[in-house]
Amino acid sequence: MTTGKFIRTIFFVEILKGLTLTFKSMLTPAVTRRYPKVKRPAKPGFRGLHALAKNEEGKMKCVGCGLCGAYCPSQCIHIYTTEGEDHNKVVDRYEIEVLRCVYCGFCVEACPFGAISLSEHYEYSDYSRDAFYMTKEKLLSNWDKYFAGKKGEAYYRKFWRPQSEDFTGHEGQAKFEKVKKLKVKS
Amino acid sequence: MEHIEKTFETRELTISMGPQHPATHGVLRLVLNLDGETVVRCTPYVGYLHRGVEKLGENRTYFAALPLSDRLDYISSMNNNVGYVNAVEKLFGIEAPERAKFIRTMVAEMGRISSHIIWLGTHVLDIGATTPFLYAFREREVIMDLFEMLCGARLTVSYPRVGGVRNDISQEFLDELYDFVLDFPSKMDDYETLVTENRVWKNRTVGIGVISAEEAINWGLTGGTLRGSGVNYDVRKHAPYDVYDRVEFDVPLGKNGDCYDRYLVRIGEMRQANRIIKQCIEKLPAGPVMADAPKFTLPPKDMVLKDMEHLIHQFILITKGPTVPEGEVYMGTEVPKGELGFYFVSDGTGKPYRMRVRAPSFVHASVLPRLCEGGLIADVIANIGTIDIVLGECDR
Ligand code: SF4
Ligand code: SF4
Repeated sequence: MTTGKFIRTIFFVEILKGLTLTFKSMLTPAVTRRYPKVKRPAKPGFRGLHALAKNEEGKMKCVGCGLCGAYCPSQCIHIYTTEGEDHNKVVDRYEIEVLRCVYCGFCVEACPFGAISLSEHYEYSDYSRDAFYMTKEKLLSNWDKYFAGKKGEAYYRKFWRPQSEDFTGHEGQAKFEKVKKLKVKS
Repeated sequence: MEHIEKTFETRELTISMGPQHPATHGVLRLVLNLDGETVVRCTPYVGYLHRGVEKLGENRTYFAALPLSDRLDYISSMNNNVGYVNAVEKLFGIEAPERAKFIRTMVAEMGRISSHIIWLGTHVLDIGATTPFLYAFREREVIMDLFEMLCGARLTVSYPRVGGVRNDISQEFLDELYDFVLDFPSKMDDYETLVTENRVWKNRTVGIGVISAEEAINWGLTGGTLRGSGVNYDVRKHAPYDVYDRVEFDVPLGKNGDCYDRYLVRIGEMRQANRIIKQCIEKLPAGPVMADAPKFTLPPKDMVLKDMEHLIHQFILITKGPTVPEGEVYMGTEVPKGELGFYFVSDGTGKPYRMRVRAPSFVHASVLPRLCEGGLIADVIANIGTIDIVLGECDR
């Protein structure tokens, strides 16, 4: 055993180094949050609870085409339609089993009318399974709750992919030359 | 005093470790036959998390089966997604544009860091060190936040798409990622200060779970578990996909094939992953992020609103799926756990006739008896940690 190694062994050098590090981090600010009291805002484009969109007159946008249900990987969207007067489709029931949903956002991607959207809302625990069975009425009221004002359209358009510009590229794409060094580091 | 002599009869003791055991990383059950502290026989039982992903994949179109791959190895879902879309693209015969490939490589390496960080935290926690676990989750949180910023989900991302990626990255994302990349090596130094030279850690891992290079190959090991034995095999180097042939990185190798060497290999891999991300940011080209292949990608949504032809196209692609060439395709990608392979048999319809997943964790779980038998029961924990299995992927 060399002298250096001997000294390192009897003085617990590597353990002391580790302890110094833990002691130092005791003095740095905490990275955790006191969750129910302090909430972290969801990032824009967060994939949370569903809402059915309403148009300007406050009517449901969905026409019952069934694309969302066909695309949904967990097959948790159920749509029941009937023929109304003047032979148009009437959406009688539009139901999402939220407990089976995987929040992939594919339903929004599939919808050709922008009639469904995922909201930023993610805290919806409850005591019964029925509370998670979203009916048409619940989904429409979600729109009023989470997409009040002008926010709606801009929000679900983020999910509406791909866009034409994705196939062509455009000015103003993110690139390295524009990276701002947020904190100066070595 | 009268001397009483007794002869004790000893018997093997059978205990069941798991499926609810915090150190089995999920729902793995090991039946251990013990002679005192020594493991005589070890039998892994898998299947507690079986969801039939392969069968489910056969009932969905190639597009809609993507979220299933998130749920294989749920702590590195980004890598699974990248593996899945690469396999499907190979079957379709299309190629993603440059920018999309760079973005995919970048996010896949972020996934690798986040997976290895969890592995590091839980592996050392199993062996008794609590501090690195807490530090590891601090860094992982940064990556999760970045993923949320990127695509709106933290864990099961479903971000890459067949033919490209879901959306282009934003400048804020790039800023924050670059910031993370510059900072990360110092965080790695912190972990290494705590763990690498620690004598307790070394006593628990050096010379434990030794497997020679030849044996490792025969068992079909891949990834860090194989490279710990000194075999230079990395899918990213040997069959490059995305832009791995255009970024510089080393493949860290171990020598002895024990738990400690596998630890060093994965630590090295995290540093290399960081290097790859940095290069991807610096070289990121401008341009499209979706391939121009109208038969195989969903049409642009702004056109769907305006144009009847695109609308019809949207309906057909979503309900029936694309019309794909008949044939078989295998594509392996390097995920944090090892080589993840997707094998498709196509009969020309929009859904795969057969989808097979070659899951590294499944192969690695099979080597557990070889590593554990003859060792002590305490080392079983070290061995489970070192092969880095996730049961979601093992049971599929
Ligand atoms: S988010 Fe995904 S799983 Fe949930 S309803 Fe929409 S398509 Fe189905
Ligand atoms: S939400 Fe959209 S895709 Fe689903 S039925 Fe209504 S209009 Fe069709």
